[in-house]
Amino acid sequence: MKIVVARLALLALVLAAWELLPRHQIVNPLLLPPLGDVLGMLGELLQRPQVHLAIGVTAAEVVVAFVIAVPLGAALGVLIAENEYLGDVFKPVLFYVFSIPKSIFLPMFILVFGISFAQKVAYAAFTTTFVVMLSAAAAVESVKQDYLLVARSYGATRTQILLRVYVPSMMPLLLEALRISMIFNFTAVMIAEMYASRAGIGHLIAGWGENFQMRQLFAGVILLAAVAILFNETVRTLEARCSTWRT
Amino acid sequence: MQHVANLARREEARQEQVAIEVANLSHVYAGAQGAVPALEDISMRVGAGRFVVIVGPSGCGKTSLLMMLAGLRSQGQGTILCHGRPIPDPDPQRVGVIFQEASLYPWLTALDNIEFPLSLRGARDRETREERRERAEAMLKLVGLEGFGERYPHELSGGMKQRVSIARGLVQDPPVLLMDEPFAALDEQTRMTMGHELLRIWSTTSKTVVFITHSLTEAVYLADEVLVMSARPGRIIDRIPVALPRPRSYEMMATDVFGQLRERIWQQIRKTP
Repeated sequence: MKIVVARLALLALVLAAWELLPRHQIVNPLLLPPLGDVLGMLGELLQRPQVHLAIGVTAAEVVVAFVIAVPLGAALGVLIAENEYLGDVFKPVLFYVFSIPKSIFLPMFILVFGISFAQKVAYAAFTTTFVVMLSAAAAVESVKQDYLLVARSYGATRTQILLRVYVPSMMPLLLEALRISMIFNFTAVMIAEMYASRAGIGHLIAGWGENFQMRQLFAGVILLAAVAILFNETVRTLEARCSTWRT
Repeated sequence: MQHVANLARREEARQEQVAIEVANLSHVYAGAQGAVPALEDISMRVGAGRFVVIVGPSGCGKTSLLMMLAGLRSQGQGTILCHGRPIPDPDPQRVGVIFQEASLYPWLTALDNIEFPLSLRGARDRETREERRERAEAMLKLVGLEGFGERYPHELSGGMKQRVSIARGLVQDPPVLLMDEPFAALDEQTRMTMGHELLRIWSTTSKTVVFITHSLTEAVYLADEVLVMSARPGRIIDRIPVALPRPRSYEMMATDVFGQLRERIWQQIRKTP
């Protein structure tokens, strides 16, 4: 309870500072507009059809990339974890590639796909697949051999072992993988939009930044932060439900 | 009277019957530095309803032997018969395996863990959900955990987890139980209590038990017969019948007979390099 109060106090403090410091010219309001002005701008922006369109484009990119990357990455991850040969061959390479910042490949995606919806989706899916793949492989490897042995000793079929042992055993790690890969996915779409694009929230934010429209810029930041936190917390709630049996 | 006569007859039949017969079993596995002989010419015969304990140094192949008896690992040369038939694959109707405590599924309650083997039979079995539940509950009661069915493993103590594990092994009512160091992770006191509990459960179910342990005291306390294995390659180097009366009690541990048996096993084990 005390912790909750302290957290709320911290939040209130930050928000109050954001409102009061620029308002009293302690911080330059041109660089950091007061919170009230930003929220007012956010309300105004949410009325504009142009912003609606941008939100739609970005949301579509995020969702399509995620829907491609998660099953693809999960399948590849399970494959390299389950097949010893493929694992030995591919895992080191994948770890090397994983360590490279994916954004340096962005120019290549533009060359191949042009500045388009497909380019954003392809780039984000590319980035996200790696995260999902490595997390899924880790999830498979986290399943204790004892659990499999027990199931086999009771005559479980392959399908039963998959559904009744692997899936529940991996669930906490899979949910975490989902959450973290969405962070990467969202980031990738934003980077791609801010780097070069004609639509989307990232495009608008980049434009506002370049034109020194700080109220719009911060309104965009609040909007994105709200969406990202909402998704993250939803999955975390699911994770917490599984955490009772997390070992 | 009829009941007593039945019991006596069953007892006779039991003693004649051989539950497990292993003849000239050898096993070599492929290690990183070439072939490693794991088991060498193992022969053993376990009468139905008997409690046999296998002791031996780490890495002597005790667990390999047990896995082969369970049909969980392909066997090498030689024969293994379980109630007269080979056991190439796991057969939960004939053999139940009880593992160390960490083998309970943490995402299932105690009762669901016990029911797990039954639920696998699913459509193959005519038993209804209610009947399965009843049997799982009966097992929970047998191991003294009535009222703890809805707890998750992480909410149970080490000893309680092992009770659940035993109940899970018993729920399909297999005539043979194989136990691989089931109490190894428990503290000494809990371990003794669990050994005593196991004997109580065993005496009410008339199962054949093959039990692996590192503890010499536990071996003598539980067994009808102790088999001592040598270091790799595992061979049976001594067979020690334990003539202590049943039911066993903690007081017996202080007797000379108990001490001598324990000493004999110890002398055999320390001979092995």
